[in-house]
Amino acid sequence: MATSEIPLLTPDLLAQLERLELVSRKIFRGRIKGERRSLRKGQSVEFADFRSYVPGDDLRFVDWNTYARLDRLFLKLFMEEEDLHFYCLIDASESMNFGTPTKLDFARQLAAALGFIGLIRSDRVKIETLGQPAGQPGATWRGRASVWRMLDHLQNVQPGETASLSQGIKNFCLRNSGRGIVVLISDLMDKQGYDEAFRYLTAQRMDPYIIHVLSEEEVEPDIKGDLKLVDSEDGDVTEITASGPLFKRYKQNLNAFVGGAQEFCARRGMSYLFARSSQPVDQLVSGYLRKRGLIK
Amino acid sequence: MMPQLTNMLSPWQWGLLAAVPPAIIALYFLKLKREPLEVPSTYLWHKSIEDLHVNSIWQRLRRSLLLLLQLLLIALLIMVLLKPSLKGTAFNQNRLIFLIDNSASMGATDVQPTRLDEAKRRVHELIDQMGSSDVAMLVSFSDSARVEQMFTDNRGELRRRLDAIKPTDKPTAISEALRVASVLANPGRSATDMRTDTAVAEAQPAEMFFFSDGNFVDDPDFSLGNLSVAQPVWIGTQDPRNVAIAAFSTARSETNADKLQAFGRIENSGLTDASLDVELLLNGEMIDAENVSIPAGKSRGVKFDLEQVATGVLELRLIVDDHLAVDNHAWAVVHTPRKGRVLLVTPGNEPLQMALRTERAVETADVMLKSPDFLSTPEYRAQSAAAAWDLIIYDRCRPEAMPQANTIFIGALPAGELWSELEKVTVPGIIDVNRAHPLMQWIDMSDVLVIEAKPLVAPAGSTPLVEATEGPLLAVGPREGFEDVVLGFELIGADKIGTNWPVRPSFPVFVLNALSYLGGNRESQAAGTVQPGRPVASRPDSEAEQLQIVPPHDGEPVDVARGKHGVFHFAGTGQVGIYEVLEGSKEVDHFAVNLFDPRESAIHIKPERALKIGHVETESRSEWHEARRDTWKWLLLGALAILVFEWYIYNRRAYL
Repeated sequence: MATSEIPLLTPDLLAQLERLELVSRKIFRGRIKGERRSLRKGQSVEFADFRSYVPGDDLRFVDWNTYARLDRLFLKLFMEEEDLHFYCLIDASESMNFGTPTKLDFARQLAAALGFIGLIRSDRVKIETLGQPAGQPGATWRGRASVWRMLDHLQNVQPGETASLSQGIKNFCLRNSGRGIVVLISDLMDKQGYDEAFRYLTAQRMDPYIIHVLSEEEVEPDIKGDLKLVDSEDGDVTEITASGPLFKRYKQNLNAFVGGAQEFCARRGMSYLFARSSQPVDQLVSGYLRKRGLIK
Repeated sequence: MMPQLTNMLSPWQWGLLAAVPPAIIALYFLKLKREPLEVPSTYLWHKSIEDLHVNSIWQRLRRSLLLLLQLLLIALLIMVLLKPSLKGTAFNQNRLIFLIDNSASMGATDVQPTRLDEAKRRVHELIDQMGSSDVAMLVSFSDSARVEQMFTDNRGELRRRLDAIKPTDKPTAISEALRVASVLANPGRSATDMRTDTAVAEAQPAEMFFFSDGNFVDDPDFSLGNLSVAQPVWIGTQDPRNVAIAAFSTARSETNADKLQAFGRIENSGLTDASLDVELLLNGEMIDAENVSIPAGKSRGVKFDLEQVATGVLELRLIVDDHLAVDNHAWAVVHTPRKGRVLLVTPGNEPLQMALRTERAVETADVMLKSPDFLSTPEYRAQSAAAAWDLIIYDRCRPEAMPQANTIFIGALPAGELWSELEKVTVPGIIDVNRAHPLMQWIDMSDVLVIEAKPLVAPAGSTPLVEATEGPLLAVGPREGFEDVVLGFELIGADKIGTNWPVRPSFPVFVLNALSYLGGNRESQAAGTVQPGRPVASRPDSEAEQLQIVPPHDGEPVDVARGKHGVFHFAGTGQVGIYEVLEGSKEVDHFAVNLFDPRESAIHIKPERALKIGHVETESRSEWHEARRDTWKWLLLGALAILVFEWYIYNRRAYL
């Protein structure tokens, strides 16, 4: 599929995103000082606490006023601010290339929006696809200036990758061992299931968000007659005859599939979000994701 | 010889077969028409279908269903190869004639509901088994035969005509049924219905099926020609109960004309003894009854003495629960005794005149005496033509034309060429007297001597009453409803005595017999004991040109016009009972129709009874001749259907 004609970020959305920031329920240590509070006490202007002096401490942080009053040495501790690692992992398999707009378009838009929020908050933003080989780390962006590079990278994400969900996540985990937020945007349509893949994510000390995106035609299939359904990825053929009982059964299976994924994630402290590719991204970001606590 | 291909299927069957390959091809294309559609993933679809498969009992059975269907298909094909057949009736020909007996005995109820209904049921079965190339004809027969349906392959029409066959009270005679059947099977005949049978002018063999109880006399003289006879299955049981009135008549008492005696003979043709009440009804009211016990196979007479019965209808009724109802009633009509009107034309015959003057003779008849000159008067001509006399005795004279009356010719021949005589013989020896004839009852001719006589040459159908060595001396012959008695010798000659008979006791007895028999008395007393189906000749004392006859059981009145010789002929005597003769609205006469047929009343079936027609004797069987009726065609059709169904199941497996 050619490069999507759909703009990844509209000016309205950008204006909306300006006010947002990525939130993690866990606080991670970044490599450089960022714009968020760290668990560690460090060199910032915000006072945090005192502690007793031990030999070797930097004398510059001794609170001399307290020493004068109490004749004991105390060290002033300050809050340290740090940055956030934000990873966005896009499933670019062939199955994502369906729907209006396609699930992949939706994934790119969402990744762009979330990445933009991260960039303007000076977080480390890294957007990868599942098909990216293990030994080939992708680019990392930081700062507002990198927005266009990130968008350019997203534009070049093409469907047709063949890596399985578990293999892609395993490779991702091997490449990126650090802590951070990871947002997986996928339709989870892997015949081997998502269990193994999700276990890799929970093994990493990351804060995983699973955004399960399905196209309208998958949620509400509108097909008639006797059909030979061809799987877009492995070419597997399933012959069906559209009928009430079949649709009913399909719905039941879909609900079980979504519900199963949701429950799996909830049990393992992962956030699960279900989205339809036809949903506007701004609505999702400003409404849904805010409610779910990914951004504020 | 090369085997010939036989067209075993009718056009619609061919059509059905021809439709099968297109149907299969259509299914094949339907299968191809399944359009491919690329979907993101068949993951959920596959799962759904599998779920449906698991949940569907059809699907659970799908594999085994296909297997079962295949097994069934193979089984059917194997059965086809075995050429299975159903037990059916063998039709040796494809032209069938169903002869259905609807005589009185077929109304017996020993087979429920009646034997006739059972016969119809069996014919229905045979009609059901007719092939598409078979044609059949329906003939019902009693004493006459009736073609109910010409040869046709229209089974619906056959069934409808079959159902329309009604029971009759008539006796059975098979000959006419055979003739009717042979008309269409033997050469030189043509069909009356060319639309349904164009090829009948060519002789075609046909097979006859008898549906009867066998109560008829075989016809050993009939030539079957192209006809063949299926082994008959007699309808009925071997031990039905039946008590029948075999005869019923009335007679005036010899001593008192006001006294009437009714005689009945009751036969028990069943295999068990019967005890029953016999009732006698006069004009519908019971006047006498008697209880009789009759051993099996025997008959008993009953006699009722009746006082002061001048006229009316007597009915004899058996109160018995048996299997044939039609012979449990008999009727007799009692007429007012009427004197015969007799004309004696003689130049003078004292012995004869004396015999006509006896007490009984005077009671029996009014005798008018005329000389031979009277024969040439217009008065005679008018009266003889108008049947003014019951009997005319011509003594040594002959009329120019025969009168409308019974006649006795003494020493002369009737007018016309029918009678002739041989050379005169002297003292012919009387060798035989036909005492069975009513005219010769109680007559003893052994002491009679005849001097001269001319032996008679009587016309066909006449009965010799007194035979001499040279030929009959006294004979009676029929003539258009009348009877002529001719005596071949003179009682008294012109100059000498010709015989000593007038002085023998047998002579006045003969004269009395002649007055009773020919003088109209017999007819008026014992009128109307005809059998069903026989014509009735009625001579009521009426001047009307048209009479109405009302059949029993409130039947439709039938107009009957006066026929030749002033006689009313009526042939519609299909039912037993009393027929009323009406002139306008006035009852002028009655006649009774009674079965009185021991053969019809003996309704038990003799299992060993064979059917002999011509020189062919066909043994009866308990069932029709069995035959294989091929069913492989149907099995093959079934196999095809299963194949199609299997194909359907196979293609719908995703759905199921």
